[in-house]
Amino acid sequence: MQTLFDSRMTMADFIAALFDKLEVAGVAAITKLPSGEKTAYTLLADKDDIEDCVPYFPAMPANAARAVSKLTREAPPSKQVAVFLRPCELRALTELVKIKQALLDNLFIISFDCAGVFPFQEISLSDEAKLKAYRDAVADGKNCEGIRPVCNACTRFVPEGADIAISFIGRGLDEPLALSFPSEKGKEAAKILGLDSSDNVETSPALETLAEARKKAEGELTKKIEETLAGTDGLISVFDKCISCHACSYACPICYCKNCYFDSQTFEYFPESYFARMGEKGALRLPVDRVLFHLGRLSHMSLSCVACGMCEDVCPVNIPVAQIFKTAGTRAQALFDYIPGKNPDEPLPLLTYAETELEEFED
Amino acid sequence: MDEKNDFTPSILYGLCNWCGTGGSETAGALHLQYAENIRPFRVPCTGAIDPVYILRALIEGADGFAVSGCHPGDCHFDQGNYRARRRVAVLKTLLDTFGLDTERVWLRWVGHGEGKRFADTVNEFNDHIKNMGKNPLSQRRDT
Amino acid sequence: MTALDEVNMDNEVSMNKGIWIEGPVKKGILEFFSGLLSSKKVEAVLMPAKNKSKDSYAWFLMGKDGLLESAEPFPPVMTTQGARALSYLTKKGTAWKKTAVVLRPCELRATIELAKIKQVDLNNLVLISFDCPGAYPLEKYFNEDQKELDEIFGACLSEQVELEGARAVCSICHRFTGRGADIEIGLMGGEAKGFWLIPGSGNGEELLEGVSGSKPDNLEAREKKIAEATIQREEKRNNTLDSFRETVMGPENLMNTLSSCINCHNCSRVCPICFCRECYFDSKALSSEADNMLQRAQRKHGLRLPPDLLLFHLGRMTHMSISCVSCGACEDACPANVPVSMLFSLAGRNTQAVFEYEPGRSIEEPVPYKVFRFEELKDFETPYTKEYAKEQ
Repeated sequence: MQTLFDSRMTMADFIAALFDKLEVAGVAAITKLPSGEKTAYTLLADKDDIEDCVPYFPAMPANAARAVSKLTREAPPSKQVAVFLRPCELRALTELVKIKQALLDNLFIISFDCAGVFPFQEISLSDEAKLKAYRDAVADGKNCEGIRPVCNACTRFVPEGADIAISFIGRGLDEPLALSFPSEKGKEAAKILGLDSSDNVETSPALETLAEARKKAEGELTKKIEETLAGTDGLISVFDKCISCHACSYACPICYCKNCYFDSQTFEYFPESYFARMGEKGALRLPVDRVLFHLGRLSHMSLSCVACGMCEDVCPVNIPVAQIFKTAGTRAQALFDYIPGKNPDEPLPLLTYAETELEEFED
Repeated sequence: MDEKNDFTPSILYGLCNWCGTGGSETAGALHLQYAENIRPFRVPCTGAIDPVYILRALIEGADGFAVSGCHPGDCHFDQGNYRARRRVAVLKTLLDTFGLDTERVWLRWVGHGEGKRFADTVNEFNDHIKNMGKNPLSQRRDT
Repeated sequence: MTALDEVNMDNEVSMNKGIWIEGPVKKGILEFFSGLLSSKKVEAVLMPAKNKSKDSYAWFLMGKDGLLESAEPFPPVMTTQGARALSYLTKKGTAWKKTAVVLRPCELRATIELAKIKQVDLNNLVLISFDCPGAYPLEKYFNEDQKELDEIFGACLSEQVELEGARAVCSICHRFTGRGADIEIGLMGGEAKGFWLIPGSGNGEELLEGVSGSKPDNLEAREKKIAEATIQREEKRNNTLDSFRETVMGPENLMNTLSSCINCHNCSRVCPICFCRECYFDSKALSSEADNMLQRAQRKHGLRLPPDLLLFHLGRMTHMSISCVSCGACEDACPANVPVSMLFSLAGRNTQAVFEYEPGRSIEEPVPYKVFRFEELKDFETPYTKEYAKEQ
C-alpha cells in the first residue's frame, strides 16, 4: 500500500494547484457541458475554465484512454498535461502505450479508486437521487445500485501506475482529497505540493470490504455468463440479436485499428459466394460473419481487455458484450498470467514466447 | 472606437489556382490595398473545396470563409466551379437550417484580371464580418 | 459531371395493372413467394425472418425450398437497413441468381440511391415493397412486451393506420408506399380483406404472369386513398420538422441537442447511404498533435475529447443528406438517444429542396453532386456590389 497524505485540498483546489504549482499546460477530465445535462471528457488549457471540471462524475461517455490516444498519438504535448483516468482507463492506456497508440511523454497521470459508473445514458447532472446514492456508497465503501454490471464486478478498482492517486472510497467524494504518489514523478509533485510525513493518514478499511463484495460479484457474473454461453447454442443465441453495427469495436479502447479487419475487403464477398453458402435448400442470414466478428475480435484483443464496459454501453440491442468479454478475457489472460495494464514493462503475451510453455495445448 | 471595429476577424479565403489566385496577383501588380488579416490559401480548383473544410474552419476559430474562383464557363477544369457552387449551396442551406450564420460563407467569382474586384471582395468581406462580430460557433468548448 | 441541361429528364410512369389476392395477407404473400420459387421465376428470396431466439429479425437469403416458416415480409422493427443488406450481397457484382427482395419503402429508396453510387447492382434483382405503417424503435421492441407490440403492429398493418409508438421518423414518413418497386404489395384501401400485387416495371409484370388472383376493380379507390394520405402526411412532416427546427436552431440549441452524443459514429456506420469503408471523419485527416489540441482548448475554453463532434454531424450532412431517405437506422443505433434521424431528416428535406431532388424516386434521376446546370443557384453566390466597386 502506498502512503496516503491528507492534502487538505478540495478537488477544485487540487486542479487549480495543478496549474499553479505543477505548472501543467492542460488538464483533461470529465467536465460539465455548457449546455444540457451531460458531461464529456474535455481538455482544458486555461485555469479560468476549470470551474465545471468534475473528474469523479460517475459516467464514462468515452473511454478516456481512447481520448488520450487521440491527444497524443500524432505527437505528445511539449508541456505537461494532467489527465484524469479511471483505473480501467489507465489500464487501457498502458495497453495502448504498449502497442504505440498513445505516448506518455509529458503526461501527468492522475487516477482514483473507482466506485464504478452508471451506463452513460442513465446518468445526468440533474439525477440528484442517483448521485446522492452514489456519494453515500463511495463514503461507505459499498456497491452503488444501478452501476454497470462490469463495474459491479470490477476487482481492480484501485489505480496501478498513476503519478498521483486519489482515495475516495471510505472517505467520500466531498472530503479533502487523500493523495498517494506511487511514481517518481508523483513524489516530486508531493514535494512541490508541500506534503510530508506529518500529513499521513490511514488507508480506509472500506477498500477491503468493497474488494470482497466485488470479488463475490465477479464470481457470480462469471458463473452467469458461463452458463449463458454454454455450448454452441448458447454462444449463438447470445449474439442472435446482433445487428453487426460493430459499435462495440469502435468504442473499445483496445481496438485501435483504423481499418478493422472485420470491416475490410476480406469480409466482402462476391455474390456467388453468398448464393453458394445459401445452398440449394438452405437459408443464409445477412449480414454474415456475425459470430465470427465477436469471436475474432476476442482473439484479437481479449488479452488486453480491461473490462471497461464501453462496448456494452454503446450496444444498441442490449447484448451483454462487456460481461462476455470480461469473462472470456480473464480466462485468456490467465493462460499467460497476464493482467492487462498492470505493468507497463510486461510485453503483450502474443508478442513474446517461452520455448517451453503451453505444452498442454499440443496434441 | 467602438467594440465592433476594434475586433480583427480571422478570415480564410480559398482561391483557385487559376482565376482566384490570378486575381490576387493582379491586385498586387496594381498595388491595390486590402485588409491584412485575411488568410488566403490556394486550392487546385474551387471544386476541390469540400464543405467540411469550411465547417472545420468555422468551428475551430475562423470568423468567415470566402471562396473565389473562375467565373462560370471559365473553369480551368471545365466544370469544377459548378461543382463548387452546388456544394456551397448545400452547406449554406445546412447552416441556415440550423440557425447558424450563413453569411459567414461567401462565394464570389473573381477572374484572373480582376484585381480591383479581388481587393474589393476582401475589404467588403472583412467589413461585413467585422459587422457580424465574433463567430459564436468557434467559442464553444462542446463542439 | 454532366450538365443537366443536356439530359432529357422525362420519365413517365404508366398506369399499372395488378392482381387482387383475397385472404390473409402474410399467408398470401408467403404463398406468392413460394410460388415464384417453385416455378423458378426467381431462384432466391431476400427478406427478413425471425432469428433463432425469436426475439428479433434478421435478413435471410432463402433459396428454393428454403423459404423459412419464420419469414416475415413486414417486420415490426428495422434491424439492419435492407439496402445495406442488399449492398453486402451485390456490392461486388450482379446477383448470381435471380433474387426477389422485400424492402420497406425507405429501404427501397436507399437501394436506389446506392445503385446510383454503384454500391448495389440492380441486375437480376426484383425489388418488392409494401405500404409500411412504420417501425418500432429497437430499444422499445427489446424492452417491452414483444407479443403485444407484434399484435398492435399486425393490426396497424392490416387496417393501414399509423403505428402507435413508432419511431419519430416513421411518424412523419410521407413516402410510405412501395411505389417505384418492381412489384408493389398494396395493402392500403384493401380493407384488410386481401392485397394487390401491382407491377411497377416490365420485370415485375413478367413475374406476375400466371399468378392466380382476380383482376382488381378497386385500384382507383386505393390511388385516391394514397393521394389523400400523402397530402396529409406531407403536411404533418413539414409541420413537425418545422417545429423541430425551432428547438434546434442556433448554436446554443443545437449543441444542447447534441450534448449527449459521445462521438461514437455509430449513426454513420449503420446509415445505408454512408457507404465509405474508411469514413473521412475517422481518418487521419482529422487527427492532430497534442500541442495543436491544447491551442484549440485554449481558444475555445476547452476541447471535447474525442474532438470534432459538431464537425462530424454537420460534415456528414454535407456528404449524405441529399440522399437521406429518413429511414431512421441512425437513431435506432444511437446509444445516447440523440434525435439523429430527425436532425438528418430536417437537413435532408432542406438540402434536397434546393435541387428539387427526391432520393430514391427514380434510378434515372442523378445524384445532385454529380450533375449541374449552367444557370442555377445564383442565390448562393454573393453578388459584387456596385457601391463597393465605386469606393476607393
